[in-house]
Amino acid sequence: MQLDNTVEVETPEHVRFRFRAAGPTRRAWAYLIDLLVRLGILLGVETVLVLGTGHHLRSGRAVMSGGTLLALFLIEWVYFVAFESGWNGTTPGKRVLRLRVVKAGGYPLSFMDAVLRNLLRTADFLPVGYLLGLVAMAWDGRFARLGDRAAGTMVVIEDPVRVPPPITLDPPPTQSELEAFPHHVVLPMPEREGIELLLRRRDLSSGRRQELAEMVAPVLGARLGMKTGDPVRFLALVHHVVVGAAAAADGNAKRRAHP
Amino acid sequence: MKRTQDEFVSARKPAWDELDSLLGKKNVLHKLPPASISRAASLYREICSDLMRARGAGYTSEIVDVLDSLAARTCAAMYSAPPYRLGALWELVAVGFPRAVRRNARFVAIAAALFVLPGALGFVGAYRSRGFAVQIMTESMVSQMEKSYSDLGRGREDGADAMMASFYVHNNVGIAFRCFATGILFGLGSMFFLVYNGLVIGVVAGAVGAAGHGRNLFTFIIGHGAFELTAIVISGAAGIAMGYALVNSGPLGRWASLRAKAGDLFAMIMGAALMLLVAAFIEGFWSPSSVPPPVKWSVAAVLHLLVLFYLLFAGRSSAARGHR
Repeated sequence: MQLDNTVEVETPEHVRFRFRAAGPTRRAWAYLIDLLVRLGILLGVETVLVLGTGHHLRSGRAVMSGGTLLALFLIEWVYFVAFESGWNGTTPGKRVLRLRVVKAGGYPLSFMDAVLRNLLRTADFLPVGYLLGLVAMAWDGRFARLGDRAAGTMVVIEDPVRVPPPITLDPPPTQSELEAFPHHVVLPMPEREGIELLLRRRDLSSGRRQELAEMVAPVLGARLGMKTGDPVRFLALVHHVVVGAAAAADGNAKRRAHP
Repeated sequence: MKRTQDEFVSARKPAWDELDSLLGKKNVLHKLPPASISRAASLYREICSDLMRARGAGYTSEIVDVLDSLAARTCAAMYSAPPYRLGALWELVAVGFPRAVRRNARFVAIAAALFVLPGALGFVGAYRSRGFAVQIMTESMVSQMEKSYSDLGRGREDGADAMMASFYVHNNVGIAFRCFATGILFGLGSMFFLVYNGLVIGVVAGAVGAAGHGRNLFTFIIGHGAFELTAIVISGAAGIAMGYALVNSGPLGRWASLRAKAGDLFAMIMGAALMLLVAAFIEGFWSPSSVPPPVKWSVAAVLHLLVLFYLLFAGRSSAARGHR
């Protein structure tokens, strides 16, 4: 989790949760995809018009340019409003980049918000290429362009999240590895958590993991009166044994409570 | 006793999964049976306390992220915005728009002055000297305008009416929206567009009048002008009101002051856009038709009165009955 672009909102129930606000680059990519979709729509309309009016050239020309202008109006002014209000704050481009427009309080945006934030694109675009919008974004902790500020909205990232798997020992402990441990191993909670944090981190390079483990393993080894061997493996084994002992104790306690 | 992350996850994950499946892919709750909704509400409260616990216990960010996203999704589903229905649009036309215009009467007056005064200046200038007209617009544009109003009122060729109507939709609604949106620059953009459009329209009218086709031009624009010019002024007024809310924010912050005004702005700009749609149809099909000028003038008079009475009186009676 990056701390610099998280936005905390508080609900009426005094619950606080966090969003990740989307920065200019990601939003520019989404805009680019939307631009391609809009060009595609225009191209589709043109194709239909050409095929449909090819035989009546005289009135056909008028229908062609009329249809084109109407299509231009729709993709220029209606496209974003229609998608953002109909698709709960997303457009095709935003879906690809997993972005969503929400109210600053974390609620879905209303039709009025969608209209305001998208009409003000005109102002954000000034003087060229969304320069003003970019300056406004740089000014704001939520990367709100002028339209977002007027409508009270923000664009958030909705990357898929998954519950991480529990810590497992891989490869499984051998009999001799387990027999080397004393009968009763107890680890204070903060130490156990420290080890878990190390084992859980998947973004650590193996060298760094080794380095960190080397600082801790000898201390534990001395306390338990054991040889440490590979420090990472040793810490994982200690964790395995401690968790197993705690689970067994828990089971015993339950059995005693309900004979 | 404090639980480790794995114990916490294995104990609580069933509840998270249940809420996740209740929300479903579409993230809506209101279509579920009542029992499921209240189940979702109690799960939401549980998940919120899980979130606090996870954060307080210092579990890894992955767990906190999972709970953050689940809480955010549930919150969004519980407090979802009411959908915008056709009834709301009717409400806007019948009540919201004219009331917003009346509430912002002083901005409408300022916008009208910024539009009409340069228009009058442009008209007088261009009428008296062609040199003035070509200062504002290019020589070729002035000539083209003079030519295009030299023979009007005989109807257009086949299909051209619909084409022009969509041209007016694209062009005029675009002008109105730009005129509004640039008001975020403390109202300056709106003022510029009002003055600019007023001046250009005045110059065109002056130049065409000087060339002796004033009657044609008047007959052409008088019908749709009631809607079109009024709508441009209203969208400019909305822009100026937006800028003013930023400048004179009262006890609120600048952006909060603007958001407090958002309802009025929305009503005004949507109303103006709808008026421009009406104007585009009149301008596309009626204004260029071969109907004799006196008929057009009388219809135009009726349209002007209609717009005036609509903006002055629509939505007043239901106020008396106590709707807000």
